[in-house]
Amino acid sequence: MQLLAQILANGVLLGGLYALMALGLALIWGVLNIVNLAHGAFIMLGAYVGYYLFSLFHIDPFVALPVSMGALFCLGYLIQRHLLNLIARAPMFNTLLITFGLDVVLTYLAQMFFSADFRTINPGYAGANFTLFGITLPLVRVLAFLVAIVLTVALWLFLSRFRVGRAIRATAQNLGAARLYGVEPRRLYALTFGLGAALAGGAGDLYGVVSQINPYIGAALTAKSFAIAIIGGLENPLGVVVGGIFLGIVESLTALYVGPTYVDVASFGILVLVLILRPNGLLGAAA
Amino acid sequence: MTPKLKVALAVAVTCALASLPWLASATILQFSISTLLLATLAQGWNIIGGYTGYASFGNSVFFGLGSYGTAIAMVQWHLPFGVGLVFGAVLAVVFALVLGIPVLRLRGHYFAIATLALSQVMTAIVSNLEIAGRNTGLVLPLLNGDPLFYELSLALLVLATLTVFWIAHSRFGFGLIAIRENEDAAASMGINTTLYKVLAFAISGIFSALAGGIHAYWITFIDPVSAFDLSLNVKMIIMTVFGGPASILGPVVGAFVLSGISEILSSAISSVASLFFGAVIIVAVVFMPRGLADVLRRFRKTGWRYFSENVKKYRL
Amino acid sequence: MSTPLLEIRGLSKRFGGLVAVDDVNFCIAPGETLGLIGPNGAGKTTLINLISGSVTPTTGEILFEGRSITSASAFRRARQGIGRTFQIMKPFPGLSVLDNVAVGALFGTSTTAKALRVAREEAREWLELMDLSRHADQRADELGGPDRKRLELAKAIAMKPKLLLLDEVMAGLNHVEIDDVIEAIRKVRSTGISVLVIEHVIKAVQSLADRLLVLHHGKQIIEGAPDAVLADPRVIEAYLGRRRA
Ligand SMILES: Nc1ncnc2c1ncn2[C@@H]1O[C@H](COP(=O)(O)OP(=O)(O)OP(=O)(O)O)[C@@H](O)[C@H]1O
Ligand SMILES: [Mg+2]
Repeated sequence: MQLLAQILANGVLLGGLYALMALGLALIWGVLNIVNLAHGAFIMLGAYVGYYLFSLFHIDPFVALPVSMGALFCLGYLIQRHLLNLIARAPMFNTLLITFGLDVVLTYLAQMFFSADFRTINPGYAGANFTLFGITLPLVRVLAFLVAIVLTVALWLFLSRFRVGRAIRATAQNLGAARLYGVEPRRLYALTFGLGAALAGGAGDLYGVVSQINPYIGAALTAKSFAIAIIGGLENPLGVVVGGIFLGIVESLTALYVGPTYVDVASFGILVLVLILRPNGLLGAAA
Repeated sequence: MTPKLKVALAVAVTCALASLPWLASATILQFSISTLLLATLAQGWNIIGGYTGYASFGNSVFFGLGSYGTAIAMVQWHLPFGVGLVFGAVLAVVFALVLGIPVLRLRGHYFAIATLALSQVMTAIVSNLEIAGRNTGLVLPLLNGDPLFYELSLALLVLATLTVFWIAHSRFGFGLIAIRENEDAAASMGINTTLYKVLAFAISGIFSALAGGIHAYWITFIDPVSAFDLSLNVKMIIMTVFGGPASILGPVVGAFVLSGISEILSSAISSVASLFFGAVIIVAVVFMPRGLADVLRRFRKTGWRYFSENVKKYRL
Repeated sequence: MSTPLLEIRGLSKRFGGLVAVDDVNFCIAPGETLGLIGPNGAGKTTLINLISGSVTPTTGEILFEGRSITSASAFRRARQGIGRTFQIMKPFPGLSVLDNVAVGALFGTSTTAKALRVAREEAREWLELMDLSRHADQRADELGGPDRKRLELAKAIAMKPKLLLLDEVMAGLNHVEIDDVIEAIRKVRSTGISVLVIEHVIKAVQSLADRLLVLHHGKQIIEGAPDAVLADPRVIEAYLGRRRA
């Protein structure tokens, strides 16, 4: 029982971070109809921003979070504005392919500038734990979880309360809707993509605190983000949180009861099953 | 060109290619084998992705199944290579039938992602199988015969290309194209869409699996990560899209051109090849989304405007 | 009376809380043309989707040539002889106009595997009939609205169906074009096939249909000879009620 509770807690903490990773992907997918295969590369870049701020300037990763997000926002904005807008009306396959190209290029550049070595962001409190009801909780994971939840709620508020946010949501239904809100579509697209990238950047910074990073972590993270976005559905950010936590728990349970090498079988197997049985997500409307 | 002349030309080119082992150096021969295998993979992807319009990320699974089928048959059961190849192809067909039926019901992104996820699942499953050597993989018997591997690969590519030629001129292929263009309309006009899609997936899979089997025996060592490598699938897509999806020679030309350039680049500056691939995808998608085949067809009429018109058509 | 070509028994379709088609019963005899009218959202398209197999019914039965096809897939029904057009047209955008129609000739009810060349020759005749010959080599997505409508019809006719389901093929056409399409439908019908025609253009239904069926909120409110049905107060109310709303 104790063990199960511990596993569940680990799963939930992991899941919060997963949710934040997937949030940007789901946003871009839902609004722009782009499945961004470079999403994992954005997360990876966000992690390196955090890493270098910490190792060169001793800036705490939680303080560096806005910088990671800002940097990735700019990158995402520019990419959409000057590249992806060029093919905004092309068949979906073209966008899939071009973001894959971006992924390859970004990964290559990262390896060139940052080297292929594994890195970690190791603040002094990295090893700290505390115990709650007999469950051990690593401090950084709890912090990362909390920040992830705060960011998710912030996104949700932004999309429902602000004019630009509402314009973004309206665009998900109808490409021309941006104009009704007085925003130029090209800018709105760029803003949305930038926002998605910023969320990836934030997730990356936190990921660097709880796990090792290198230039090649992107592909697996993209795949996981997909899985979560599919499980949670694209309609609202809270679905993604549930999807993330669900996947986190499944992975923790699989690792313990089946074996750590089966974690991917479980998560991607669930993804395939959900796709086949409930293409609108576990929480979405039935097909 | 008259049809007869075309056939004569095709035969002449094939014969010329077949004589390469007597002319080329060992390095060039090795490069040629891998290029021929890539071209076969691209041609296989062309059937499901180009003609049928289903962007499969599962073709690297077929490649992996072919590799492992051959390796398991040869290493664990001590069967001859030919039997191994067939076993690998059978595995691919089984996969295409069993998983193709549910997954091919998904459209667009969803199909692409489901196949992508399947490839991850397969990698993980294989790396847990005792008979497949788990994480370490399998070592196949050594056969020093690059000329043989070359001729085999060439024969496979010719077979794949002939198949695509048949598809392009048959009722079956016409049905596949109709499915790509509008699946609901295709079904309402009497096309058995499920059967056609699954067949296309299986045929596409057989070629990938055979290429995988040849590759495994040639390279003599396979492990889960390299046999099910997703980037191989991406290469198939890029080569097909670059050359011209749903054309008969596009994927072959795409494979030859891109492999050639990346080989030259990577011998000049090592490891820049992947950057090159990424850049090619981006540029090709923006400026020539319908591939070289379409550029050749239209460029004469429109000139350089061809590229700007592509951008104009799709930009926001 | 001989067995009807199509028989619909107690057919209903529910979308969530909405009953789009509600307990509909009717028959179409061989060679007969039935007109289906009703205000927007009455469930006409849904009824065609049910017959062609794009949508599965919640309850009820569909018989074609006396055999139940209720659970047959769309392609099987097409092979047995049910051809349809889509109100929201579904051309094969990247194919030439000729090849669009050739798909119908190659598949449809054709049982022998004919060569592509033969199918294209057949397709040319249908293009001729639909006055589309000069567009034969154009891509379907380059066609203008009225030509697209005609292409949609040509594709269905090329299947050589026994029952043709037409969903507003005349919407958006001008008077001259409508007369041409009516003429073409008459010609196809003279080969003995049955037609179910949905049309808001009353003139067209009146001149084509042997009988009329009126659908309102998914229910069939009246069925009978065209002139009598159009004069019926319930029909007038259904339409006027819509206009007032
Ligand atoms: N797939 C669906 N899911 C949910 N509701 C649907 C679906 N298809 C149709 N409906 C609803 O069923 C009702 C009937 O629609 P239908 O398209 O059959 O009407 P119609 O008579 O063809 O109208 P129109 O004259 O506008 O073409 C409408 O209220 C429509 O919104
Ligand atoms: Mg309708």
